[in-house]
Amino acid sequence: MEQRTPTLRNVAWLWFGITIAVLVVGFRQAIFLVPAEATMGDVHRIFYYHLPHAVLGLIFPYVNFVASLAFLFWRRRDPLKALTADALAVAAAEVTVLYVGICLATGMLWGKPAWGIWWAWDARLTSELLLWLLYVSYLLLRRYSPSGQAGTVGAVLSVFAAIDVPIVYMSIQWWRTQHPAPVFGPNGGGVDHRFYPAILWNMAGWLMWGVLIMLFRFALERRRQLAEQEAALQAIEASLEIPR
Amino acid sequence: MTWHSFLNFSTMGHRHIFFVYAGVWIAQGGYLAWIAWNWAHTKNIRH
Amino acid sequence: MNYLSHVLNHLRKDLRLEWRSRDSINGMLFFALLVVVVFGLAFDPAGYPTTTRQISGGILWVALLFASMTALNQSWSRELRNQVLEAQRMAPSPASALFLGKALANMLFVLAVEAVLAPVFIVFFNLHVLGNIWLLALILPLGTWALVVNGTFFAALGLRARNRELLLPLLLLPISLPALLAMVQGTTGILTGDLDSIQIGTWIKQLIGYDIIFTTVCILLFETAFSAE
Repeated sequence: MEQRTPTLRNVAWLWFGITIAVLVVGFRQAIFLVPAEATMGDVHRIFYYHLPHAVLGLIFPYVNFVASLAFLFWRRRDPLKALTADALAVAAAEVTVLYVGICLATGMLWGKPAWGIWWAWDARLTSELLLWLLYVSYLLLRRYSPSGQAGTVGAVLSVFAAIDVPIVYMSIQWWRTQHPAPVFGPNGGGVDHRFYPAILWNMAGWLMWGVLIMLFRFALERRRQLAEQEAALQAIEASLEIPR
Repeated sequence: MTWHSFLNFSTMGHRHIFFVYAGVWIAQGGYLAWIAWNWAHTKNIRH
Repeated sequence: MNYLSHVLNHLRKDLRLEWRSRDSINGMLFFALLVVVVFGLAFDPAGYPTTTRQISGGILWVALLFASMTALNQSWSRELRNQVLEAQRMAPSPASALFLGKALANMLFVLAVEAVLAPVFIVFFNLHVLGNIWLLALILPLGTWALVVNGTFFAALGLRARNRELLLPLLLLPISLPALLAMVQGTTGILTGDLDSIQIGTWIKQLIGYDIIFTTVCILLFETAFSAE
């Protein structure tokens, strides 16, 4: 175990360095190199940061969902594995809140100059807002629960969230086909191939960044869990030594 | 675009581009910094 | 004893407890009346009948949603006193029977409030229902069950949490959104007569689907949530 850590740390620093390099290239592509869009002009450049966060914000909730299911499965069978799954669930949930929050904020900042409205209650935006609210409430539920229960109640809520978000999307989609309302955001259609460098570099960069912070958060949570276990063990041992 | 036009705050569009790019780095960098701060302040039982 | 008799026992227990104190129902009723009065002051129902019909659906469900939150939190806190919860865990009946009994009891309380509230609404807002009023008798229970089943579950989930009263609305709102959409759109559609019966039928089908899915999920997951510690 002593030999494992330096290699892991070196890989982490290497990954961090490459991520920053990719993000810098992405920034340069997005702002300086790629041409302005035909109708919107330069405001379209917001899209190069909005899109990666939107796409990745839909992937991390699934990591949380799978980790929550693993936690529920291992809870009674192998508590140590369950604890690891729980740490991954928390990390994925926090990164979800971050990415989806950034997606919403950048979307609104893009929508106002591009389409004149801050918000529209269509299927995509409403389910995105709901996803954010659900994961914020997930984190709050965990914070306010007593320490033994946080994992289980969180996992239960995660299952509800995984079921609910598609249902919300479908129900509002149906509603809006009956009652159309203002929609904003790119609606199908291809993206001009001149924009590909900015999109691809930024997608890669933010994906690497997301993996980095999720695993770092996971490692932090594991460190906390192990420190807690150690403290509990010491407390038990100390109580056994109390002289009568 | 150039640095000059990126840092130009005259129209809402320009302001929003700047807010998005600066805001995303601040939010992501802030989260990373928070994790790093807690990492440094959590006891490591392996060493 | 079979499952149904367990559920009925829990239901009878909750009804009896509530009948003796009546605090839940009174609280809900007064809250809902307060909402009606405030909204009646906010705009002029008699002067603008069309606007009144368009927003009454939303106001009704807002009033019911917030009124039922107080009752939902209270329904579980009465289990915390006198270590009743531990006794429930040790009892041979399955935990989901406790959940169903409590959800049915809460359903009856909220339906009782609705039975009082609906005439109050019609009187204070001078509501003249333009659509088929019998469909309303279908939407109200279905929508109420959607709120109550999830509300009872999440109230139990946050039972030992520090900030219970904050958590319940925070958890309930995102999860119930599809049901809320169907309830409000359906009710408004009937009140204004804007939607034809096929569209109302589709909202009702969505409500039924939502109810079935989430009742099943709640029953299956309750054992896990209940024995979380």
